[in-house]
Amino acid sequence: MKSISAFLNGLWKENPTFRLVLGMCPTLAVTNAAANGVSMGLATTFVLVGSNMMVAALKKVIPDEVRIPAYVIIIATFVTIADLVLAAFFPEMYKVLGLFIPLIVVNCIILARAEAYAAKNTVFLSMMDGLGMGLGFTWALTFLGIIREILGMGSVFGIKLFGEGFVSWIILILPPGAFLTLGLILGTFNAMLSKKDKVKCN
Amino acid sequence: MKNLTAKLIIVLALISIASGFFLALTYTYTIPHIEANAAREQEIAILDTIPGAVSFEVIEGTDFPMYKGLDSGGKTVGFAYVAEGGGFQGVITLMVGVDPEQEMITGIKILSHSETPGLGARIGEAAFQDQFAQKPINDDYEVNKDVDGVTGATVSSRAVAATLKQTLPQALEQYRVSGGAK
Repeated sequence: MKSISAFLNGLWKENPTFRLVLGMCPTLAVTNAAANGVSMGLATTFVLVGSNMMVAALKKVIPDEVRIPAYVIIIATFVTIADLVLAAFFPEMYKVLGLFIPLIVVNCIILARAEAYAAKNTVFLSMMDGLGMGLGFTWALTFLGIIREILGMGSVFGIKLFGEGFVSWIILILPPGAFLTLGLILGTFNAMLSKKDKVKCN
Repeated sequence: MKNLTAKLIIVLALISIASGFFLALTYTYTIPHIEANAAREQEIAILDTIPGAVSFEVIEGTDFPMYKGLDSGGKTVGFAYVAEGGGFQGVITLMVGVDPEQEMITGIKILSHSETPGLGARIGEAAFQDQFAQKPINDDYEVNKDVDGVTGATVSSRAVAATLKQTLPQALEQYRVSGGAK
């Protein structure tokens, strides 16, 4: 039961992008197309699950004083493994993803989960947490990517939606579009959730 | 205190060694595949940019990698060379196919780049690359006049156009000097 709630936690209640507002650097950088969002999310999920499990397994061995450098080494190792394996066996996917993979190292959601969750929980629970957080991150990035791609390029996953007359709103696939879209979504979610809280109080 | 310091050093060192070991293992295992992919990519790029070519030969003694495209009868149908130019964030490498008789480009293919994903990276799309086929070597290669740039990626589009303008005369010259025309 606990493992299911650890998994579901990241999907909505503590969604890394919309609720914790962590990992904003890749979120803002790569979400100008839906496919980029999916790719970045899945690669991050792999690293998150791997590093969470490793940190949980080694939590008794790593002294508190050096835990951060130790976590960083573990995370960087998984990122490099993901990079090499993708380049070797999925060259087509690597062409799209390759540029983003090194960005995963600096995604603070991974360090945050190692520190806040994996360092205090079992290997299995940490794996479920990594999966939930990773997939939560994936759907959030894909959602942002879909909105920006539709308005900025008139397509979804590269498939054109509108006819010739469509004037794309280019600012949305440029950096300012990331801030605008994310800000509006965060605002909407906060407004929806605070309304629900008020109802509960009454 | 001394004991604690020693422990910290030992644990970190062990983790680093283990990490290095796994990375070395992954590297040794994946590098032949990565190199094979790159070689296959190179081969496809050469044959794609020279229409009618079914095999190729390396042209020796040139300043940059150059390949001669041969048709099924062993006749030279054109050449391709690797061009490099500064992009928005790093080096852009292209394969450029040339028809030396008619002095025009037969095709280009981006081999590697580190442009912004979703913007500059779209120079890798066919829509951008295909427009260069049939362009004469002495074209001005001015973006938005002779070349349709990628939306939101003027710098990357210009980089490709400028690299072509700069390297094409050199490449043709080298091809003729090296006796590739024979």
